[in-house]
Amino acid sequence: MTDSFLTISGFRKTFGSIVAVEDVSLNIPKGEFLTFLGPSGSGKSTTLYAVAGFDDPSAGDISIDGRSILATPPHKRNIGMVFQRYTLFPHLPVGENIAFPLRVRGHSAADIAKTVKAMLSLVRLEGFEDRLPAQLSGGQQQRVALARALAYDPPVLLMDEPLSALDKKLREEIQVEIRRIHQETGVTILYVTHDQEEALRLSDRIAVFNHGRIEQVGSGEDLYARPATRFVAGFIGDSNFLKVREVERRGSAASAILPDGTRIENIPAHAGNGHAATPELMVRPQSLKFVQGSGAGLAVKVKDVTFLGDTSSVLLETGWGQEIWLRGAGSAVKTNALSGPLHVEWNPADSHLFC
Amino acid sequence: MVTATADIREPFRWTGMGYAVPALLLLAFFFVLPVLALLLRSITEPELGLQNYAELFATSTYARVLFNTFLVAGVVTLFSLLLGFPVAWLLAIMPQRWARIVFAVILLSMWTNLLARTYAWMVLLQRTGVINKMLMATGLVSEPLPLVNNLTGVTIGMVYIMLPFIILPLHATLRAIDPAILNAAALCGAGRWQIFRRVLVPLSAPGAAAGALMVFVMSLGYFVTPSLLGGTANMMLAGMIAQLIQSLLNWGLGGAAAFILLTVTLAIYALQLRYFSGAAGTAGGR
Repeated sequence: MTDSFLTISGFRKTFGSIVAVEDVSLNIPKGEFLTFLGPSGSGKSTTLYAVAGFDDPSAGDISIDGRSILATPPHKRNIGMVFQRYTLFPHLPVGENIAFPLRVRGHSAADIAKTVKAMLSLVRLEGFEDRLPAQLSGGQQQRVALARALAYDPPVLLMDEPLSALDKKLREEIQVEIRRIHQETGVTILYVTHDQEEALRLSDRIAVFNHGRIEQVGSGEDLYARPATRFVAGFIGDSNFLKVREVERRGSAASAILPDGTRIENIPAHAGNGHAATPELMVRPQSLKFVQGSGAGLAVKVKDVTFLGDTSSVLLETGWGQEIWLRGAGSAVKTNALSGPLHVEWNPADSHLFC
Repeated sequence: MVTATADIREPFRWTGMGYAVPALLLLAFFFVLPVLALLLRSITEPELGLQNYAELFATSTYARVLFNTFLVAGVVTLFSLLLGFPVAWLLAIMPQRWARIVFAVILLSMWTNLLARTYAWMVLLQRTGVINKMLMATGLVSEPLPLVNNLTGVTIGMVYIMLPFIILPLHATLRAIDPAILNAAALCGAGRWQIFRRVLVPLSAPGAAAGALMVFVMSLGYFVTPSLLGGTANMMLAGMIAQLIQSLLNWGLGGAAAFILLTVTLAIYALQLRYFSGAAGTAGGR
C-alpha cells in the first residue's frame, strides 16, 4: 500500500435523525482513480460533498497530504469538481468559464490565455472559446466543466455522476476521454456513479457503498472474482443466488447442501450476507456448464433460451423450483440439445457462500 | 389533440380584430387623441413654434424641476435596487412557506391605498413624528431632522412604494439560477464577494434592469407622493404639469412638459426592448 494522499477517517454524516453515512474510512494514494459505486441514497454523494466542503461531517476527519481540510471553506480548498448538472456560467463564453478560477485567483492575463488554450486542447475543444454554454451539447458542456475544474491544477478532482445526463454512446466516448485525461494529468480523482459498468471502465479501485457504509474496496477484478459480501456479489456483474439447506464450515471454506440434497464442497465462505437470514450460494451465470450424463452436478430443466449474439442466456429451473441463469458461448449452447432433464456443474472455487 | 398533417384546416384562426375594437377605440379617443392634442397645443400656443420648450429649459425654475425629477427618479431607483436585492435573494433561498409570507407582506403593501401610505409617512416623518421623537430620545440628534417637505422625504416615501417593483422581477431571475452553479463557483475559488460580483450580478442583471427601468419611469411621472411629501419648493415634473395646466392655465407650457416626460419614457422603453427583452428568459437557464 502506497502512502495515503487523501484520507477519509471515520466519516459520519447525519441530517436530523437520518443517518446518511454511518462510518466511512478510505486511504487514497496520490494519482489514484477511485470510484464510489452504490445505489442512490447509499451515502456516496454525501461523502463526496463533504470532501468538497459543502457538508460538514458529523464525525470523522478528511485530510489531504496529512493536513485536515475540515476548517477550510470550499473556495479555499483548491479542489476541482464536475457536477451532475450542467454548471457552466451561462453568461460567460467557454474561454471565460475556464478562465474563471484563474481570474478569481488573480493570475496574469498572459498566464490565463496560455492555460485556457492548454485546457481546451486537453479536452479537445480547440476553437470553442467564444461559444456560450447554451450553444454546446451536453457532452461538450461537461468537457468544458472538466477543463474549468482542472485549470488551476487541483490536487484532487471530484466528479459527481458527470455523465448521467448523457446518452450511452456519448457516455462511453467521454469515459475514454476522462481516462486519458487522468493518465495525462496524474490528478487524484474521486468519481461517484451508480453505473457499475462505468465504474469498472474507469477506476483503479472501486469503493462499493451501501446503507452509508463501504461494503468493499478493491479493483474491479477483485470485486467481481472475490466479493466480500452478498451485496457486492449482487451489485457487480450478474449472479445467481442459490438457496442452501445446510452449511458445514471449515475455516474459510465450507460445504453446502442445496435443497434437493446436492452437496457442494470447498466453497469460499463469507460472513457478509447483509440482512438475509438464510445462507445463499452465489454462482455467476458464466461459471455454470452443462454436463453429460446423469448423477453429476445439479439437476435442472430448461425454461427458456435467449440468443444474444456472442453468448446465449439460458433460464433454468432447479429441482426445488428456483430460476437461475446460465450463460455460454452462442455456439456452445445448442438449442436442440437442451431438452429433457439436464445437469449443470461449476468449479466450487468460483462460487461464494454467504452465511 | 390534433396531429400535424399538411391538409389540416384550423377551425378557428385567432386573427380576428373584432373583439378588440371597443378597447382600442377607448384608448384611441381618450388617450392617443388627447396626447396628440396636447402635443399640438405645446407647439401652437400662444403661437406656432418651439418657444414653450425653449422656455422650459431656459427658465431656471422649470429647469430645476426637470433636474429634481431626474435626480429623485435616479436616487429612488438606486436605493430600491440596493435595498431590494437582498430581499429578492432572501426570497429566492428561503423555504417556500416563509417566502410566501414575505411575498404576502410585499403584495399587501402594494395593494394598500397609496394616499393612505403617503399620509402615514407624513405623520412618521414630521418634526414631531415618531421617527424624530425616537432619534431625539436616544440622543442621536439634538434637533429634529428635516425629513419631510424636502427631497429626502420624497425619496423615502417613493423608495418604499417602488421596492416591490424591483423585488418581484429581480426575484424571478435570481430564482432561475441553479444553486449548483454557485457551488461550482465556490469550488473554483470564488469567495462570497467574487460569486456576487462575477456570477450573481451578471445573471440577475436582466431582472435588475427590468425592475430599475420600471421604477425609474414610474418615478419620473409620480404625482401623489412628491406633492405630499415634497412641499411646494421641491416640485417634480408631474406636479409642475398639474400646476401649469390647472392653476396657470398655460396649456402650451404644460403640454411641452408633458411631452418631454412622454419622450423620455418612450426612449427608456425602447432601450429596454433593444437590450433587455428576452434576455430575462435565458438568464440562469441552460
